[in-house]
Amino acid sequence: MRDFEKELELYGVTRRDFLKYCAVLAASLGLSQYDVRRRLAYALESKKPPVIWLEGQDCAGCTISFTGLTDPPVASILLDKISLRYHETIMAAAGQMAEDVLHETAKKGGHVLIVEGSIPEADDRFCYVGGKSFKKIVEECAEKAVAIIATGACAAYGGIPKDTPSKGVGVGKIVKGKTVINLPTCPVHPDHLLGTVVYFLTTGKVPELDEIGRPKIYFGQSIHDNCRRRAHFDAGRFLTDWNDPNQKEYCLIERGCKGPAAKSDCAIRRWNDGINFCIDCGAPCVGCSEPGFYSEMSPIYTAESETSRKIYAMKEKGLL
Amino acid sequence: MGQKIKIDPVTRIEGHMAIEVEIEGGKVKEAISSGTMARGFEALLIGRDPRDASYVTSRFCGVCFSVHQLCSARAQDMAFGAKVPWGGELIRNLVMGAEYIYDHPLHFYQLSALDFIDIMAVANYKGKDKDLLAVKEKILHLVKVKDTYPFTPRYKPDEYCVRDPDIVIHAIKHYIDALKMHAKARNMGAIWGGRTPHYMNIIVGGVTSYPDVNQVLRFRSMLDEQKKFIEEVYIPDVIAFAEGPLFPLAKAGVGGGHRNYLACGDFPLDPERKKLVFPGGVIVNFDPKNFKVLPFDQAKITESVKAAWYKERDPVHPYDGEQVFHLEKKGAYTFIKAPRYDGMAFEVGPLARMLIAKNKKVFDFINKGAKPGVVLRHYARAIETKLIVDACYNWLDQLLVEMTKPGFKIHDTDHFEPPKEGMGYGFLEAPRGMLGHWIRIKDKKIQNYQAVVPSTWNISPRDEKGIRGQCEQALIGVPVPDPKNPINVVRVIRSFDPCIACAVHIVNGNFSLERFIIA
Repeated sequence: MRDFEKELELYGVTRRDFLKYCAVLAASLGLSQYDVRRRLAYALESKKPPVIWLEGQDCAGCTISFTGLTDPPVASILLDKISLRYHETIMAAAGQMAEDVLHETAKKGGHVLIVEGSIPEADDRFCYVGGKSFKKIVEECAEKAVAIIATGACAAYGGIPKDTPSKGVGVGKIVKGKTVINLPTCPVHPDHLLGTVVYFLTTGKVPELDEIGRPKIYFGQSIHDNCRRRAHFDAGRFLTDWNDPNQKEYCLIERGCKGPAAKSDCAIRRWNDGINFCIDCGAPCVGCSEPGFYSEMSPIYTAESETSRKIYAMKEKGLL
Repeated sequence: MGQKIKIDPVTRIEGHMAIEVEIEGGKVKEAISSGTMARGFEALLIGRDPRDASYVTSRFCGVCFSVHQLCSARAQDMAFGAKVPWGGELIRNLVMGAEYIYDHPLHFYQLSALDFIDIMAVANYKGKDKDLLAVKEKILHLVKVKDTYPFTPRYKPDEYCVRDPDIVIHAIKHYIDALKMHAKARNMGAIWGGRTPHYMNIIVGGVTSYPDVNQVLRFRSMLDEQKKFIEEVYIPDVIAFAEGPLFPLAKAGVGGGHRNYLACGDFPLDPERKKLVFPGGVIVNFDPKNFKVLPFDQAKITESVKAAWYKERDPVHPYDGEQVFHLEKKGAYTFIKAPRYDGMAFEVGPLARMLIAKNKKVFDFINKGAKPGVVLRHYARAIETKLIVDACYNWLDQLLVEMTKPGFKIHDTDHFEPPKEGMGYGFLEAPRGMLGHWIRIKDKKIQNYQAVVPSTWNISPRDEKGIRGQCEQALIGVPVPDPKNPINVVRVIRSFDPCIACAVHIVNGNFSLERFIIA
């Protein structure tokens, strides 16, 4: 690319001119101007898109989930695909040095912002990083970001911290007037995150979202509709004893499964390279892809939660 | 009056932590560690169905993800009067084994190694190994395009940093390999755990995952691959660093601290639960030539809130613990409480476990001149990983026999309903050290819930008597020749593998909090 630039200069074409031509050409071909320019700019500067990954009221579970990618391996993503400027759990720098990188990157703009963990609404001081309130850090980093991804249930809708005294909320409540892509589930599914990032870097667009900001491609259908145990539900066979091998595959509704009220592709995509997922290890779906998680899903292991009551009401009406 | 420096955030640990140290004459004179994030899990649990606790507390932390789930299930087992069948216990052990196998190498490579190597030394690699040349090329390319994040920026490499191009390039390659291995180790846990992080199969009374033979075989074959990596890459790397370039650090005992060690003991190898992988015990003021291992008694644990942002009260046993916030409290500087055993501060974790077990390999290294501290901590962590690998084979063999017996059980279904009233505690040797959960149940709901986690022991603040927590104590006397480059400080902190999200307990309150800053 460098040689190509030099060649252009010989003809008196500046980099800026060239980008402009490309944009016009792209527009005439019906491609996204923005995208072509951006991608060319990356190519010309041999730069990888900068990524800021913030952790607030988090447990690092989404980070760990993301690093569980094996194909493509996470190392290739970190070293070849993105330029990870700031990530507390991974980066070499610490203290002021780390903070400087963060502020430089945020000020310059053009970065993808990934947020893990909620923001405490009760009081800023429940979460401080580098001597600053996490809320302020999120606001500062969102300002010039080209995409904002709330990764995991906490960053999307508050998750478990929502129901604690610190009253954690999602990024969408803090960042106003910008699209926030929500990728709930606790933790985030690594495919959901990688797919969303790559989709954005490839098209320059946000994937199609549902009314609560989740990509439809991942959160379009209920877990129940794609569950292997669906036939047992239809036949009225429900698991009551985990020791009985004959019941092993029975429906878990009576054990508190929230599958009918949870939209996510877990049942098809599965987790950990397709090895397993919650329902297949005999545990009920907890509905962690929903804004009502966790309190509307509690109690988890019996069918007495608000959500379970709704599920049973639908079942009575023959709607499931 | 020395010079004060503050490192905030301390990175490559789990959670949000700040450290302030005062340096005088090139050494740390005073240290203050502070947990800077809180959520308030225990308060959330009060009034809930007790069985929710194992799911919710798992979310204390996503790095050591399922330790709380298991510990909570054990506390409920006691409170519900549930007896976990041996089949259920074996599966609990195996998924926890997978957790160890993923967690320990991750700590060494991803969270610590960058403090011990000069990554730029790869440029001088002169060998012909194709894989290593690819690593060299990758790093040099990143340098060329001025994009070496997240490896830079960093503290300046000091005299303990390895500069030998061969060792460094191997370390970087292993850093990349380890990423792949730990993803695979977690897939291994997911065979019964459902998925990771945050297993789904551990509940009061046992597990939900009824096993089949193929799962046992699959787990074993994945374990074979992990064993190879641990025995041929991870352990040799740690030993090569510890007995080679880092030996001066080991000999100086940098980051030793109080030298008090605590372990509850864990992971039964037989149905009678008599033989354990890690024995429990207590060592006070460790001296390798002359030390006693005393029995551990949970009744001797208290938690102090003296230096934490909670309402003032005398130290109490966790059964009676509470979290009432008081953020204008004078002298408080952290969200972490100070647990004490018999009134003393202790270290928990791999080093504590291996000293209490009188592990031969660790004591051989001590006899060579290594003293408790940063290096011995890494050493003990590597050595115990192998013990867990061996135990996993043993458990797999037993599971295969057990599950083919008639009437095989994984769960105590008769005790799945919460009792009207009850109390119980559960202990667990988590990768980072001893963990305890205490639960009180009233009217079938949680009345009180407390967790005292490994990092609360290790990263605790001062108590009533002014006794520092173990990490604070470990920092005293640590050499910092250049205050702008406090690399030894972060080495000491990271050697504990802190998990701050776990360590913080919190509750409600309206407060105005002045950030604790030293001018």
